[in-house]
Formats: sequence, structure tokens, C-alpha cells
Amino acid sequence: MRATDLTLGILVLLGGIAIYVSAMGFEVIPGQSYGAGTMPRAIAFATIGVGLFIAGKALMAGDRSLGFELRDWVRSGRALFRAGTALVLIVVYIVAAPFVGFTPAALFVLLAGMLVLGTRPLPAIAISIVATIAIQQSFGRLLLVPLPRSDLFSFLW
Amino acid sequence: MGIYLEAAGLVFQPYVLAVIFCSAAFGMFVGAIPGLAATMATALLVPVTFFMDPVPAIAAIVTATAMAIFAGDIPGTLLRMPGTPASAAYVQDSYEMTKAGHPEAALGASLVFSALGGIFGTLVLITASPVLAEVALKFSSFEYFWLVVLGLSCAVFVSPGSPARGLVSLLIGLFAATIGIDNPAGAPRYTFGNVELYAGIQFIPAMIGLFAVSEVIRAFLARNETPKVANTRNASIFRQQFKNLVTYPVQAIRGSVLGTAIGALPGAGADIAAWISYAVSKKFSKTPKKFGTGHVEGLVEAGASNNGAMSGAWIPALVFGIPGDSITAIVIGVLYVKGINPGPTVFINDPQLIYAVFIVFLLANIIMLPLGWLAIKGAGTILSIPSRILMPIILMFCIVGSFAINNSPTGIIIMLVFGIIGFLMEENDIPIAPAILGLVLGPMLEQNFVTSMIKSQGSFLAFFERPIAAGLGIFTLVIWSIPLVLLLVNRGKSASVTPS
Repeated sequence: MRATDLTLGILVLLGGIAIYVSAMGFEVIPGQSYGAGTMPRAIAFATIGVGLFIAGKALMAGDRSLGFELRDWVRSGRALFRAGTALVLIVVYIVAAPFVGFTPAALFVLLAGMLVLGTRPLPAIAISIVATIAIQQSFGRLLLVPLPRSDLFSFLW
Repeated sequence: MGIYLEAAGLVFQPYVLAVIFCSAAFGMFVGAIPGLAATMATALLVPVTFFMDPVPAIAAIVTATAMAIFAGDIPGTLLRMPGTPASAAYVQDSYEMTKAGHPEAALGASLVFSALGGIFGTLVLITASPVLAEVALKFSSFEYFWLVVLGLSCAVFVSPGSPARGLVSLLIGLFAATIGIDNPAGAPRYTFGNVELYAGIQFIPAMIGLFAVSEVIRAFLARNETPKVANTRNASIFRQQFKNLVTYPVQAIRGSVLGTAIGALPGAGADIAAWISYAVSKKFSKTPKKFGTGHVEGLVEAGASNNGAMSGAWIPALVFGIPGDSITAIVIGVLYVKGINPGPTVFINDPQLIYAVFIVFLLANIIMLPLGWLAIKGAGTILSIPSRILMPIILMFCIVGSFAINNSPTGIIIMLVFGIIGFLMEENDIPIAPAILGLVLGPMLEQNFVTSMIKSQGSFLAFFERPIAAGLGIFTLVIWSIPLVLLLVNRGKSASVTPS
């Protein structure tokens, strides 16, 4: 999904205006003209400048098309489903891990990911179990990262 | 001479050598895991060093750090997951080399020239540290401002594609760096009341998201189009490095010198050094168009610069007690715990200790070659795994690595958001690397800009009043004006050939 040059320029320009407006309410250092808003405002000016440059260059080149060029994957339902699954699996981990613990959450993410990508079920199950234990042992035990624990798999810790 | 023998006596003991070997293996392990970097290796070692004498304690940290910085290149090269922002400078080239079936050449160059840069930096550390540290101490906020702007400019102009899109990427990174409470007024910005965001956007989860998660999304989208890459186990890692050394001697020396000099500047460190060296390499290259497409030249120069800067960062740390980066900041803390006060007096009170540290530096960079070889051989196994199995495992590493930074799910959320941003950026031909540097250097840029503006009472002329600041400023402005001049020249040429 690629924006045309004119669209990109306009989006960048709008982004710059949004940053400038949002920075108007930031506090200054007492007794000074500078503060929390100085840097965002400088970024806003630069962003507006770049947006105008990209849009202006597109217009001067005769490119007046607005919108997005659709890539092949946008039209493929399966591809969209697989990419969506990758993002959903991260969200599932964030939501589930604090309640069910690292081990079952990681096992689910790995297994679902492999199955969606076309790994056969039995190898997917075996590899997911081994990978989960390897990651849990290296991060959780060796590097002492406090991964969320679960009572069911407490023997692993 | 006697002091060197005494220092050697402190290092060449079975216990110290065993500590060096174990910490080297540890540093290699931590650095090679995506999401974990040299700073984390150092931080994890600190509690262990409490039980050691000063020399083995410092030896453990020095060795683990040197190994972890190199090992950060392994996931970067094989999986496009740079371990450090410095590795991100040349990850495009090293990953393209992997896709072309030459991961061993990329990792070999990274290993050998990292070691050479590290050894050069150590020799400078030994011979010229007091002089360099004095120069660095003369830098004020004006010089640091221009140095940061120079580093950011390099990131824009070395990135593939148009500089305008590189600038968009940089501005995304700089904007992300404004999030949080770490600003001159100490006021929360763009936190939306979320306390976790007060600390700002941590760059490791952001980096994992931009580089790795975007790659995972692409692999999920087109599961049959993931390129098949060669395995490093059957290839010679060192074979091509002699040829590289003969072909690019100037690049190796220039990278080492520049890296060491920049590393010696307090607060600058390996990140800026690698980026500036990569830009310098591209600028003076006979084949600049090959950069970003799997060309080893920039890797040679930036790799040498990377580890040269690591040694250079110890110059202000040891001589004046001013940390050059986050790692030396931790080390200074360890030295204080051991009853040693870093600074000029340490050369008078404990000279044998300082020279022992120098010897450890040399040993660490030499031992890096065989251990790095082993690590590359082991890591190469990753490439033989089909992507339908590898990608979910990488996704899980990304999740755990992002969590491990602050032991909080916020890191995973940041990773997810930046993963989507990175994917959309690459879909629109906006390079990712400048955003990373903007995120890392944004706070430093803001601090030095606002401090300078307050000092100069709003006068921009003050940014050019000091000689070094003026030199850096003019150099930066020249870099920015070159594309505009070229644009005008090309327009003039095309207008003159257009038939009326």
C-alpha cells in the first residue's frame, strides 16, 4: 500500500501541523523562552518543510494523483489473514501472558504462527514445545528475566 | 617497563584468564540474542563482579562488552535484527549480503575489522589518552549540538532512496524521542496520562519493531517468497578478509581513527561513530551506488569504527572519570565500589591497574577472533531452518527481548506499534535507519540545543562563535547544501537541453 508522492507530501505536511498544534500548550522553563515545546516545534517546522518539498516536487513533475497504489498482497485474502495473525498473536501474548504465564502463552504464539505459515501439525507441536522451553530457560533462568509465571508449569522455573 | 611487567603479572593468572574466557562466552551469548545488547551484558555482570578483585572485575566487563558489540552484528546480518544502534548503520548491507548467499563474508568482515578497530583504539587508549581527553573536555553544548546534527545528517544522506524520504524517517524518530518527561522543562509530552510512557520510548523495542517485526510481517504476508540463504557452516569466514584488507586499507584505518576519536568524546559513543564512518565511507567510495545493496566497503569502515569507539570511550572514563557511554558509566560505578576513583590520580596511585586494563583490552580483541568464529558457525545453523518455522520463533524472541528491557509489557506494545510503522515506512520507500538514530540521539540533540539557546540568549550566531563548533557547523551546512546545489545544477542542465 504505497502512497503517491503528492499524498505522502500532504500527509507529512498534516503531521507537521498536528505536531505544531499539539506543542503549543507545552510548558517553558521558568524565566526562559524555551522549554518542553521547543524541540517539538522545531520538528514541526522541519516536517512541514519536508511535506511541502515532497508535494511541491510531485506537482512540478506533473504527478497530481491522490491516494494509494495497492500492492498485490492487499488483494490476497490469505496474505492479509497471515499478516493479521502475526499482529494478533502479539496482542494475544500481551493480554494472556500476565494471566496464564509465559509458557502456555508462548507455546500458543509459536504453534499458531507455525500452523498459519503451513508447518504440519506434529512437527509444529514438537518444535513449539522445544522452542518455548529453550526461550524460557535462556531468558527466565539464565538471564533472570522475570517472565510471567504459571502454576501449571512451575517445575520449569 | 617494570610497571608493564607488574600489570602483566596481574592479568596472566589462571583465575583472571578463566574470568576473561567465561565473560567472553557470556558476552557473545548475550550479544547474539536479538534484543539484548552490550549494555545489558554489562549490567548483568555487575552483581558477579562484586565478588572479584578489581582486575578480574574490569576484565570481565571489558571482555563481555567487546564480544557483545561484535555479536550484535550476528542477528543483524542473519535476521536483520541489529543488536545495537551502531550495527543498524550497516545492517542493510550485511543483510543484503546474507540474502545474496554470503553471510560468512559479511560476518567475517564484521569480526575481523571489529577486532582491528578495537586493537587500534586500545593502542590509542594506551598512548594518547590524556591528550585526546583534554580536547574532548573543551567541547561545550555548541560542539555537541553540531556533532549530533552531523551524525543525523549522515544518517539521512547515507540511507537508500531520496534524502527527502530519509528526512521523513529521521523526523519520525526525533518525534518519537520527544515522548516522555525527559525534556528541559521536565513536563510530560505525548504520554496521554500513561505513567509507563513517562520514561519515553525505549530504543531497543522500537528498533526490534522497526527492523525485525516489519520483516516478520512481510514473511507472514508472502510465506513462499522468503529468500533462501546460504549456511555459514561450510564456508570460510576468514577467506575473504585478507582480500578486503588489501582492497580497503584506507577504509579500515579511517574507520578505526574516526571511531576512536568520536568514542573519546563524552556522550558520543559507538552509535554516532558507526553512522558517521558509514557516511564517510560512502562519500569517498568509488562505488557509492553499491552502498545498501550488499557492499562490504561500508561494513569494513563502520565495523572498525564501532569497536574503535568502544575503546575510545574509555579514554575520558579512565583519565577524567567522565563516562563516554552507558557501559563506561556502569564501569565507573564498579570502580568506585572497588575503592578506585577514576581520574588523573588513578595513573599515580594505581598505575599497574590501568596498564592491566590496557592489556585486558588487547586480549579481549584478540580472543574475539576465535570465539567470534565459533559463534558465527553456531549462529549459521539458524539459516538452515525453513522460514515457516523460523519466523514464529523470531517473533517470540522479539516479544521476549522487548519485554526484557524493562520487564514490562510496555516494551512489547512499543515493539508492535513500531513494527507496523516500520512495515508502512518500507512499503512507501521510507528508510528505517534514520528513524533509529533520531530516536537515540533526539534527547541529546534537544538538551544541547536548548542549553545552547539559553546560553546564547536566542542568538544563532553563537553556534558559530567557537572555532570547533564553527568548523563542525560549516561542514554540516555544506553537507546539506550539496543536494540543493546539485538539484539546481541538474535543473539548469535539463532546461538548457529542452528544445524550445
